[in-house]
Amino acid sequence: MNAMFEKSRRVLLVLTGVQIFSSAACAEGKPAANHPGAVIYQKECASCHGKKGEGVAGKHDEPLIGRRNVPALSKYIAKTMPEDKEGTIVGKDADDVAAYIFDAFYSPAAQLRNSPVREDLSRLTVEQYQNSVADLIGRFQGGFDRPFGKTHGLKGRYSGRFPVLVGPILKPRGDAERAERNKKEKTSYEQTDKGISFHWGAESPDPLRLRPDDFTTRWEGSIFAPETGMYEFIVKTENGIRLFVNNPREPLIDAWVTPGPNVREEKKSIFLLGGRAYPISLEHLKFQEKSASVELHWKPPHGRQELIPEAMLEPQGRATTMVVKTQFPADDRSDGYERGTTISKEWDQATTGAAVEVMLYVEANLDSFSGSKSGAKDRAEKLKAFAKRFVEATFRRPLDEEQQRVFVDQHFEKARTPDIAVKRVVLLALNSPRFLYPELSNGEKTDDFAAASQLALTLWDSIPDAQLARDAASGKLKTRDQIAAASRRMVADPRAKAKLRGFFQHWLELERADNSQKDPKAFPGFDETMFADLRESLWRFLEETVWSDTSDYRQLITVDYLWLNDRLGKYYGKDVKGSEFQRVSFGPGERVGIITHPYLLASHSYSRSTSPVHRGVFLSRNVVGLSLKNPSVAASFDNQKFDPSLTMREKVAQLTKTGACAVCHSTINPFGFSLEHYDAVGRWQTMDNKKPVNTVAEFDTDDGRTVKLTGPKDIADYTVGSPMAHRAFVRQLFFHVVKQNPLTFGERTLDDLREQFEKNGYNIQKLLGDIATVAAMHALTTSPQKVAENSPASR
Amino acid sequence: MMHLNRRQFLRNLGVSAAALPFLAGLPSLTGAPLPQRRQRLIIMFSPNGTLPDEFWPEGKDETLNLKSILEPLTPFKDRTLMLKGVFNKVRGDGDNHMRGMSCLLTGSELMPGNIMGGGGNPAGWAGSISIDQEIKKFLQSKPETKTRFGSVEFGVAVPNRADPWTRMSYLGANQPVAPIDDPYRMFEKLYGQMKDKDSLVSILDDVNADLKRVSARLSARDKLMLEQHMTLVRSLEQELKTPHDAHLVHKMPPLDPGIELVNDNTPQLSRMQIDLLVNSLSNDMTRVATLQYMRSVGQAQMRWLGVEEGHHSLSHEPDTNKDAHDKLQKINRWFCGELAYLAKRLSETPEPAGEGSMLDHTLIIWTNELGKGNSHTLDNIPLVFVGGAPGFKMGRGLALDKVAHNRLWMTVAHAMGHTELKTFGKADMCEGGVLNLS
Repeated sequence: MNAMFEKSRRVLLVLTGVQIFSSAACAEGKPAANHPGAVIYQKECASCHGKKGEGVAGKHDEPLIGRRNVPALSKYIAKTMPEDKEGTIVGKDADDVAAYIFDAFYSPAAQLRNSPVREDLSRLTVEQYQNSVADLIGRFQGGFDRPFGKTHGLKGRYSGRFPVLVGPILKPRGDAERAERNKKEKTSYEQTDKGISFHWGAESPDPLRLRPDDFTTRWEGSIFAPETGMYEFIVKTENGIRLFVNNPREPLIDAWVTPGPNVREEKKSIFLLGGRAYPISLEHLKFQEKSASVELHWKPPHGRQELIPEAMLEPQGRATTMVVKTQFPADDRSDGYERGTTISKEWDQATTGAAVEVMLYVEANLDSFSGSKSGAKDRAEKLKAFAKRFVEATFRRPLDEEQQRVFVDQHFEKARTPDIAVKRVVLLALNSPRFLYPELSNGEKTDDFAAASQLALTLWDSIPDAQLARDAASGKLKTRDQIAAASRRMVADPRAKAKLRGFFQHWLELERADNSQKDPKAFPGFDETMFADLRESLWRFLEETVWSDTSDYRQLITVDYLWLNDRLGKYYGKDVKGSEFQRVSFGPGERVGIITHPYLLASHSYSRSTSPVHRGVFLSRNVVGLSLKNPSVAASFDNQKFDPSLTMREKVAQLTKTGACAVCHSTINPFGFSLEHYDAVGRWQTMDNKKPVNTVAEFDTDDGRTVKLTGPKDIADYTVGSPMAHRAFVRQLFFHVVKQNPLTFGERTLDDLREQFEKNGYNIQKLLGDIATVAAMHALTTSPQKVAENSPASR
Repeated sequence: MMHLNRRQFLRNLGVSAAALPFLAGLPSLTGAPLPQRRQRLIIMFSPNGTLPDEFWPEGKDETLNLKSILEPLTPFKDRTLMLKGVFNKVRGDGDNHMRGMSCLLTGSELMPGNIMGGGGNPAGWAGSISIDQEIKKFLQSKPETKTRFGSVEFGVAVPNRADPWTRMSYLGANQPVAPIDDPYRMFEKLYGQMKDKDSLVSILDDVNADLKRVSARLSARDKLMLEQHMTLVRSLEQELKTPHDAHLVHKMPPLDPGIELVNDNTPQLSRMQIDLLVNSLSNDMTRVATLQYMRSVGQAQMRWLGVEEGHHSLSHEPDTNKDAHDKLQKINRWFCGELAYLAKRLSETPEPAGEGSMLDHTLIIWTNELGKGNSHTLDNIPLVFVGGAPGFKMGRGLALDKVAHNRLWMTVAHAMGHTELKTFGKADMCEGGVLNLS
């Protein structure tokens, strides 16, 4: 027995829950205290749930709120309540209690009545800060966000000497003659290369154009970073190389001097923001070595090492993007997505440090940013104009007279030189709450600039780009149509793609795989490379689906194919030729979209066995959209405690059958059980522990129906046909991109968006645009600061 | 042309004498003064060989008579040791300049590579760690000798290119350490955290006023967050207003403003670097430093000495060329003057953690990649020691018998407390072990 893997089995079955709000029901008045359900509730339920359903510390401390309807509640109460006296509140009694608690505090409408929701004041999240700075500086370095990838590959310039095609080589007489001849013999040519993987041996890259003994090559262009994180660059060569990434002056790797004749790997990592392209160049030198070769690889975040794919390269260069190096403390993710609702000393230090970093960057580039030279006559004037534009971009709106004085003019009056004044202006602007808390920049204004600011935050986690700022300035963000048009343009931008990638990471809990590993004895060959390949397979599927014209959410749930390369094909029983990923269809019901993608099945499993509970929680909550409470008792799964002849399903059923557990697990387990045909790495299995797999189960929906499941296809069918599931998808996307509770944007926000989603054929791109439009329209009509004044007593 | 206003420079740089520790980085900025003895090492390099007849002391006994090149060291004669007879015996790929430079502190052969010199085979970087980095590694491994940087590599007029002629310090095979030859960049490295405090202090009141203004209309709950923010800004302000000099034993050195990194400014740049070097040692940011003048094959034109020709070209002239000889004498004497200035600065600074001056606890080694410029010999490499270290009896001129320089570096390591070092560089050149210099 391998102790390490044994230990990893003892993972808690317990997962934290998310409180879910909804506005499905219309608001009705509070029920009377003598309601027949109230009488029973106070007698039988209040001791654990509290007089107003607020919970009782030490017993059931969570508030009694949720999304079931009255019949579903009644059924639930009859089946499971009160704990240890189940079956004593049934029939009309259960109906009465259900009706009472629904109206008194359980239903979304009751929740809203009891404690009105309002927008939280939010600071920029870490990602929003990093992106805002990149785009802010980008405003002054044209072309950094030029669309990526009309053509692919890198431009190569090969330089050396003319080949000697005929006749003997004449020995030069003396240094002068040698120098003269070298000059005459110099030559170079250009071509576009798909990627960097050349093995010239002792030969010339082009024997007709270049002599083989010494030559240099310089490749340049742009490289696209699909997600935010550390990118490792690896150059394999026996020659001299220099690699520049997002900095044309300082090489990321300087290996110009070679340490010997052997091929070596030069590696360095750099942090890049996703959804952006960066300038890259690679210089290669062969000088009289016996052979020449060069390969350029990368290892993107979570990915595996590979030759940089052609599609990630572009032969045109571009301006540098400023990537802030200051380390920020992680944002609060207790609600499942990053939110900027708390601040700390570390955060204040990080923002101050980052502001200094930006200030130094501006200082170093001030001449080009301001279009003036040090000592020029119009230096002060030009710097002041730059300072003003900088503050306006930072605050996402033009300055009024007072602001012009406070944030710009006074510094030019006080500082000894205009250069010092600019430094102060930059520091002040970036430390100002108007930058750090975007909505505070609006004050009470509900105008085009507020709408633009909200659009940029929602879709890009950033500040408006030049186009959006122009739209706002010319009053083109006033109507829903105008805003919808702007959001359509923005959804197509790589920054929106990066943001949507972040959503999938949260929605599908992709970081789980980071801590996941499989027992090599039980699953030989399933290593990190397999995880990386599966991750790539999943991303191919997600991106291809989402960025197709139909962008159909239902496809995510239902398709019968996987993207596989030869390695994965071999493992999952399909004959695939070559290392290129391709679509491979499976038999009926064998694979259905994300529900059975091996990456997700594997990351919601133990190292040696499946985990119906992890799979069940993930599916019921994230995909099917059922409400789950936090578990009241923590239980751990210890494989050794069970009768060794049991199947996984039998073990889980045994562990979760008792009182407190049974409540939620009656919802969770059926989903997990119906996936028992997939082992811990997502391969098809028919036997578990020498017994045939049983995948039949049933669950109760939030609207009181009972649904039978026989396998993943049933889950998929239920999900694509369930408005509750669609609504759950809309809600999770809304939370992720807007980072506010949708209820604060109106009671019907989610329902309207869901209806629109259905009308649009479940088009995810359009949904994203619609969500951004709702948030921007809200900024255009409601000042959060006014709301605050009108309801000072809220909470 | 010198004598620019130093205070002016500081103001331009954004640092006032009361400038403050920046953010939380301060405690790590200087080590807390420790009671035990500190021993320091500075290795100073100048290129292109020396003039043996103007350099080596004459006479067979240990009397140290300073020849013309060494005259600037007269005030420190009794704290000077000259060591003749130390040979760089490393052979292999590369020309003598390359090996002279890149094997000088490593004592092992160059890696094969793609850099072609004036003779021999092409070669690459050094094949092993250099002695300064070896000692640094040792000091950093122990809490009582660990410092913020461990070592600092200073340069003066080192050209901006990386090859075996410009690098003498190595972390290991193929890992050259680049010296910083820009005093402004060095200042940034040593004191950068403090540099922008003035700008920061000047805007914090505005930030707080702004926070107050925007929070005026907020609900009580949102106001709470901004009030917390204001508290953080105020506490940052307090931290920034604590004089940093309370933590530094020695104040940040004043730097002259706007000295361009050009050949003719070398004398000023050299003094600026030496001032920074002494300061970093006195604040115990490091106990190991290198100070590299130019590079092997360097062509400095020392017009400030009335020498128009490039240094390397002059060093190739035959011994019979009296003009070249005179100029080389001036050049090498100038280097020695810089050494003397360094020794003077250290001797004027009281030892922060003990008795005497800092010079008493610092061993300066001045060396060169070649014994003689026009012969390219690696025999009798110039070695002058100034200051003090355990096991080094100063005030002498010693002649050793063709000793491999590996043994000298072992001796220096032992003097620095690294007594576990049994061989250094090529092991077979360490035969005989540590030298007896006491």
